[in-house]
Amino acid sequence: MKSKSPLTALLAALAALGVAIFAAGCGGGNDETSGGGGGGEVLTVGSDIPYPPFEQGKPGNYTGFDIELMEAIAEKIGRTAEFQDTSFETIFRDVAQGKFDAVISAATITEEREKAVDFSNPYYLSEQAVLVKEGGSIESLEELDGKTVGVQQGTTGQELAKEKLPNSEIRPFPEGPDAVNALKAGTVEGVVIDAPVAANAVEKSGGVEIAEKVPTEEEYGIAVAQGETELLDEINQGLKEVEDDGTYKTIYEKWFKLAPPQAIFSASHAAE
Amino acid sequence: MSEFFHQYFDFNYMGEHFWEVLEAFLQNVLIFTVVAVLALIWGLVLALLRQLPGKKFLPIRFLTIAYIDLFRAIPILIVILLISGGVPFLEFIPKEIRIPHWLGKPDPFWYGVVALMLVYGAFTAEVYRAGIEGVPGGQMEAARSLGMSHWQAMRNVVVPQAVTLIPAPMLNELISLLKDSTLVSVIAFGESVLISRELLAQSFNSSALTLTAIFFILIILPMARIVDKLIARNQGRIARGSHMEVA
Repeated sequence: MKSKSPLTALLAALAALGVAIFAAGCGGGNDETSGGGGGGEVLTVGSDIPYPPFEQGKPGNYTGFDIELMEAIAEKIGRTAEFQDTSFETIFRDVAQGKFDAVISAATITEEREKAVDFSNPYYLSEQAVLVKEGGSIESLEELDGKTVGVQQGTTGQELAKEKLPNSEIRPFPEGPDAVNALKAGTVEGVVIDAPVAANAVEKSGGVEIAEKVPTEEEYGIAVAQGETELLDEINQGLKEVEDDGTYKTIYEKWFKLAPPQAIFSASHAAE
Repeated sequence: MSEFFHQYFDFNYMGEHFWEVLEAFLQNVLIFTVVAVLALIWGLVLALLRQLPGKKFLPIRFLTIAYIDLFRAIPILIVILLISGGVPFLEFIPKEIRIPHWLGKPDPFWYGVVALMLVYGAFTAEVYRAGIEGVPGGQMEAARSLGMSHWQAMRNVVVPQAVTLIPAPMLNELISLLKDSTLVSVIAFGESVLISRELLAQSFNSSALTLTAIFFILIILPMARIVDKLIARNQGRIARGSHMEVA
């Protein structure tokens, strides 16, 4: 038999490396599954990460308001939440198709979305914020009309910008932080995005400020596939319990540095 | 299964959004055209710099090789993100160049064009180089022995022969370039993938992505057939025993 050529040896080495990496990847995954806190049946939850302060962190170690709230709810109903990072534009389709059991991703409850999925009672009341460069002249949403405005693709901020800023060029970025970076770089002159995300950007990134907050009467909900009424009831029950025992307030204050508005408690009990 | 077809092959949906997606696809074609012209020129410059002979051009050869290695190594997506995220902060550059709005195109278009040109310049340089080095060394030596300078020999003897070796691999690079133009969606330029995903976000239907894929297939398949033809032609030449025939 012919001795191995250098090329064959290289290919063999690459193949071995590939197998090793694959095996390591699988091992990591197994650890994650077995190591997840509360016990009980796994509840897979889709979320578009990062979207600080709602969802952030690295695979296997996600954190944020949504993540901690979902973990608390899952614990109440005897499940273990396991998170999957996914893209926001496809998130409702994926939960409807059963790719995961539930979605928590700072998702506003809208009629359009309710055609594809079922939402829990609201767990968060949201505002949109107009983010601008620090020390700039823009002080309101209206003043951005005709200017270049960044948004996150597929979000309510994008819809609000389209509606209120008919003369603007609206640039949809894949992730919120991309839009904030574009603002700092000066390629967009304003960003319309969820208020907590904007507040987080002001705190963490600097150089930007909130010009105006726009109340939108938006309510965030946890989505499940249509017809999953049992799971939905459990989630609503779990949400009520974490609100009643003060866990909700603790998590809220941890991530937003504010006390939660009273309205959220009545909102999440309204459907009863 | 029917959900799959509804999700990706809803022909009514494709019909409704046909012009919107086509218009966005033409943005890809535009990026492709501009970058192709720039990268073909830039790549040729790099390839020729890399071939400079003698000791005194060593630093230039070194820098050229470093450039080519670097831009072949960095993922294009990262180059695009770095250019669009970094260049606007370079305040010593005038704002009209830092945040370009030339010819009615927004800045992400130009960041994409520059990033793709930098990367594809390196790729095309390697194609030119393969062509030039595919010409037997005796050709250069013979030309030099007839008294031609390095540049005269390049222009009159080596490059005309190299030219027949270049089109097929170059067309392959251009096919990749056309497809990679979709990466510019990541910096919010409204090309076909971004628009398709917009439509997906609005309607929860992915058929616009399928339609985009169809547009790419329609344009790229003929290019692939041309590559086949060119390869067959070159092989025909070699088979006839006339290894290098100036076209």
